[in-house]
Amino acid sequence: MIAQRLRDTRGRVRPYLVLALGIALIAAVVLPVIALGSSRVPQPVAFNHLKHTQDLGLGCEFCHPYARTRAHSGLPDVTTCSMCHTSPQGTSAEAARVTELITAGDLLRFNKLFRMPDHVFYTHRRHVAIAELSCETCHGDIAHTERPPVRALVKVDMDFCLDCHRKQGATLDCNACHR
Amino acid sequence: MTRWGMVIDLDRCTGCAACEVACKSENNIATVPPHQAEMGRVMSWMRVLAHTVGDFPDTHLEFYPRPCMHCDNPPCIKVCPVRATYIDPEGIVGQIYPRCIGCRYCANACPFTVKYFNWYGPEWSDSERQHLNPDVSPRTKGVIEKCSFCHHRLQRAREQARAENRDVREEDYQPACAEICPTRAIVFGDLDNPTHHVAELKEDPRAMRIMEDLGTQPKVYYLRARR
Repeated sequence: MIAQRLRDTRGRVRPYLVLALGIALIAAVVLPVIALGSSRVPQPVAFNHLKHTQDLGLGCEFCHPYARTRAHSGLPDVTTCSMCHTSPQGTSAEAARVTELITAGDLLRFNKLFRMPDHVFYTHRRHVAIAELSCETCHGDIAHTERPPVRALVKVDMDFCLDCHRKQGATLDCNACHR
Repeated sequence: MTRWGMVIDLDRCTGCAACEVACKSENNIATVPPHQAEMGRVMSWMRVLAHTVGDFPDTHLEFYPRPCMHCDNPPCIKVCPVRATYIDPEGIVGQIYPRCIGCRYCANACPFTVKYFNWYGPEWSDSERQHLNPDVSPRTKGVIEKCSFCHHRLQRAREQARAENRDVREEDYQPACAEICPTRAIVFGDLDNPTHHVAELKEDPRAMRIMEDLGTQPKVYYLRARR
């Protein structure tokens, strides 16, 4: 069918149609890769949230210590991991790799999944400590993930913020959150 | 009801322009290149206007530090087609940069000429980049910017007050210009709260507002003995 359409009535190939088809095919393959690939957030180790929060019973604030007091909740670094992982823990290959990295002096810098635009005033303190929201409200079920998500589990945009602000009766004033 | 406002005592003002510098530094205001400056595109949310009075040799200079007047009846918000500029419940006239489409209607509507258009995106040298204030977003090319009464400081003050379960106090929230003024000529606070200094000062017999007859109800008062 397509092969027929690529030829005109006299059986000659229509070059512009071939070109258009080619561009469409390339776009269909390349664009999703660019769109999805560029937003993937890499992490130094494949951290298992499920293991730490459920099997070991650690709270979120063990590794994200400033969730109730500061703007940014904080990410764990090598000092937090070193509390246990200086000697091999468990049987997983990744845990063994953590011990190796710590021994080699790696700083284990984890990367932020969420990036607020710079014109937004956001602090964890006023959402976690003052408004008493649970972490899942914005972070989804990250505590039960076995591998680090490559992007945020919940899409936090202005609609998401305003939706919650309306339900909670919080401020809807532009100046309250924009700067 | 809170109504943030400012009283500037012209009899105390020495025209040192510390307020201008503090404002530029606090609010990441871009420096424009010389050829742009010649076209009158200098941005200065707080500007000390100098006015010569009298005939030579009997002259003196009068200084008018001029921030945004944060009018109670602002002409700028009436012309904004996208509600990028609006007056918030506490009387601060806000400018929401990502929403601004750069039509410049507000800049033309403002009788105090306090609205500045970004003809180009800001260019920071490496040394400038290091001391940008992270609490204030840099504006992009094609949007209007203006004095915000340093409302990013109010955001922090409000949060602190909420955490301590109390109201925002006068000293919690002061804009950069009021904070820096060496002669305390600039006083800032809630005009409707009798415990705030500004509420008392605005009733001073020396108090006046500029272009009061336009009916925009500015919330910046000036004190001047000499008429």
